[in-house]
Amino acid sequence: MKPTHTFQAESITAGYDKKTILHDISIAIPSNKISIIIGANGCGKSTLLKTMARLIKPTSGQISLDGKPIHKIPPKHLARVLGLLPQSPIVPEGITVADLVGRGRFPHHTFMKGWSKKDYEAVAEAMDIMNITEFADRNIDELSGGQRQRVWIAMALAQQTDILFLDEPTTYLDITYQVEILDMLTDLNRKYGTTIVMVLHDINLSARYADHIFALNKGKLVAEGTPSEVITSSLIKDIFNLNCKVIEDPVSDSPSVVPIGRHHNKSISISENPVIV
Amino acid sequence: MDGLFHPEVLTHEANVVRQRIVRTIFCLMCGAALGVSGALMQSVTRNPIADPSILGVNTGASLFVVCGIAFFNISSANEYIWLAIAGAILTSIFVFGIGSMGSGGATPLKLVLAGAATSAILSSLVVAVMIPRSNVMDQFRFWQVGSVGSGNWDSIATFVPFLIIGLLIAVFTGPGLNALALGDEVAKGLGVRTGTIRLVAALGAVLLCGAATALAGPIGFIGLLATHVIRLLIGPDLRYIIPMSALTGAIILTVSDVLGRLLGSPGELEVGIVTAFVGAPILILITMKAKMRAL
Amino acid sequence: MINDTILSIMDSRQKRQRRFIIVTSVLALISLALCCSMLMLGNTIYPVADVFRVLMGEEVKGASFAVGTIRLPRMLAGVFAGFAFGAGGYIFQTMLRNPLANPNVIGITAGSSAAAVFCIIVLQAGTTVISIASVIGGLATVLVIYGLSKGSSFSIGRLILIGIGIQAMLTAVINYLLLIGQENDLPAAMRWLSGSLNGAKMETLLPLVVIVLIFTPILLFFGKRLEMLELGEQAATSLGVDTNKTRLILIVSSVLMIALATATTGPIAFVAFLSGPIAKRLVGVGYSNILPAGLVGISLVLASDLIGQFAFVARYPVGVITGILGAPYLIYLLIRINRKGDL
Repeated sequence: MKPTHTFQAESITAGYDKKTILHDISIAIPSNKISIIIGANGCGKSTLLKTMARLIKPTSGQISLDGKPIHKIPPKHLARVLGLLPQSPIVPEGITVADLVGRGRFPHHTFMKGWSKKDYEAVAEAMDIMNITEFADRNIDELSGGQRQRVWIAMALAQQTDILFLDEPTTYLDITYQVEILDMLTDLNRKYGTTIVMVLHDINLSARYADHIFALNKGKLVAEGTPSEVITSSLIKDIFNLNCKVIEDPVSDSPSVVPIGRHHNKSISISENPVIV
Repeated sequence: MDGLFHPEVLTHEANVVRQRIVRTIFCLMCGAALGVSGALMQSVTRNPIADPSILGVNTGASLFVVCGIAFFNISSANEYIWLAIAGAILTSIFVFGIGSMGSGGATPLKLVLAGAATSAILSSLVVAVMIPRSNVMDQFRFWQVGSVGSGNWDSIATFVPFLIIGLLIAVFTGPGLNALALGDEVAKGLGVRTGTIRLVAALGAVLLCGAATALAGPIGFIGLLATHVIRLLIGPDLRYIIPMSALTGAIILTVSDVLGRLLGSPGELEVGIVTAFVGAPILILITMKAKMRAL
Repeated sequence: MINDTILSIMDSRQKRQRRFIIVTSVLALISLALCCSMLMLGNTIYPVADVFRVLMGEEVKGASFAVGTIRLPRMLAGVFAGFAFGAGGYIFQTMLRNPLANPNVIGITAGSSAAAVFCIIVLQAGTTVISIASVIGGLATVLVIYGLSKGSSFSIGRLILIGIGIQAMLTAVINYLLLIGQENDLPAAMRWLSGSLNGAKMETLLPLVVIVLIFTPILLFFGKRLEMLELGEQAATSLGVDTNKTRLILIVSSVLMIALATATTGPIAFVAFLSGPIAKRLVGVGYSNILPAGLVGISLVLASDLIGQFAFVARYPVGVITGILGAPYLIYLLIRINRKGDL
């Protein structure tokens, strides 16, 4: 099992150039759990993730790992505890799967030391978890979108960090692969206790796979807690401006959001939804 | 005035004035040709930074001229012109061919890179042809910076037919190019024969810049400058932009030439150098303002 | 199962490591052979033994002057400039993730050339001043291009376009300086248009040699980080690379090397552009190819210089030969990049 860490952001404000996107957010990431950040487009969920993963410097506030501010930890040391899979990483031309996954070992290397047995094990294991062993010597260019995404996640796994951030790991994938990847990440969390924090677009998948949800609206944290505590029709109305009914997911016991539009509504009026005539 | 109307007067002043008049006329003509050529290229490629110099077309013309000087002992403007035009045509076909490959067609970035790369290749060839022949090198060195000082009545006479044909093409393709600015499909929907319009307009552009380059050497950025100044002043209608860019091109080149002579006195600063200095910052400005998606 | 995977990863990794070592050694041998030919060949051909004795400091009739004073500096200029262009070009291409974004295209060598030509023609300056000026010219060009392309959001496409604009201006400056520099004979001027090893002297070589020897180990050390930068800014940061610091060090050291090489030999066309892709093709991906790229640079320059000197009736400077050799490859590369739609 991975050790327990405290990872906290205290009243951070951050943004790009002069535009402030996050306003005074304080959160503590639950250790060894899967947390998912949800919110409408442009609410700052990716920005929050990137700020916590030190890709963006907050204009004020502080992010700390085990009580130590992250900018005071040497980059390589931090990279052994905290990993991030960016939304659109770049594939170097002609690189093989095993090679790319192997690059995740960079933070564990020192100048003189070459590859050790531990490095090979980590790479093999990461490929095994993401089920890409058969592609090891293939060129990344030859893989499909879903397979490619698994390779990237495997690279982040080979880094063997205790905490793993993922920025929309399922975007642009077919629903089959979305579920597949979320299942694999859940395996990872259950088996090793890796703390996972990710941004997801799909509310229903978020509600099902998250242990803990952070809901963001216009750069502010509006709710957090277990999915059943957080996902309510009034919250959805607040952050997405969408009328909906929250029902129990027929498959799991998590909440599920059923949107209500202006058409195709059953004649019985639903109490949460004042139908506008 | 004596110099102009009384050819029998042979004083030094008269000669200087005659020379200056020829130079000014030549300058206006080259400027007009380059300005229109730029406007045509920009609308054919739907690309705000197309200019003969940026797309390497000038270097193509240079190479042919150098080969002509070196291998066929060519030294008259009449012969330069055909070589330069041939060089310009081949180079532009080549650059556009490479630049428009792949998805998205000829984006500015692809075109400029293809142009820069082609220029680099062609200039090595130019140097390779010149090195063993120092007389060619000497002749070419001055031609290469672009100067309107070498203009005389002969070269003006050679130039006139090309200028007229080019301008006529520009005027007639104007409305079609206007439709083309809305995209190929819309233009077809409006009943424009897009392929023909493109081809004819491109031919006009190449004729104009090839002829100007042959006579004055590679002068860069006039097309770019003229079109953008005009666009700022009168908006995007190509029926007006084309004639106006002839005027603006002529003015810009003449002003640059005067500027070059003032700054460079007692000698002169060749006009090609002046236009590069004014034009390159404009290119950079356009790039900085453009949204990167459009590139 | 896992063990099989480990073994197979180990196996392919070792294979590539072997390939890297073999390719690098072969390149080193080729460079060495070319160095020897440079020393042996000329109007009079001296045998290896004579050349060796001259290098050891012995006085050999005739050979001492030809080999020691003319051919040796020429060879050394080729070696160090070739390495600087090859390695520096590779670093730029990798960092900007675009094989076309190399110092020749985006105006950096033009900046160094312009500064050097200015010092020679206007100031009539000596070697030290020329070296310093060309470094300042190169760095200033980088700063201007970077500053202008930063804007609201940094993009490589914008950087390339701006670089080409700057390049056009600097070329105009060089052309003008060459025009007013009537007293300079034309062949010397041509060096600044296409690069040449003619007239290399021991004392003018010194700054380039020192800088290459100092910065090569630094570049090799940062090679691993360069590989991580290839994955993109964010991925590199999360792997523990200080991206800003790494980029700064890589840019400054490669610009220093390229600028001094330009000051010594002029901008030898296409070496900076060709070496990286050739090295990559030979070694394969997944390694930092700085060293192989530098060796390819050496081989290209020396081989082209030999061709330029002896293959034709007229003597061509090395830059013309590399330019003509590089052209077909550049066209091929452009076509391939455009087909793939990477731009």
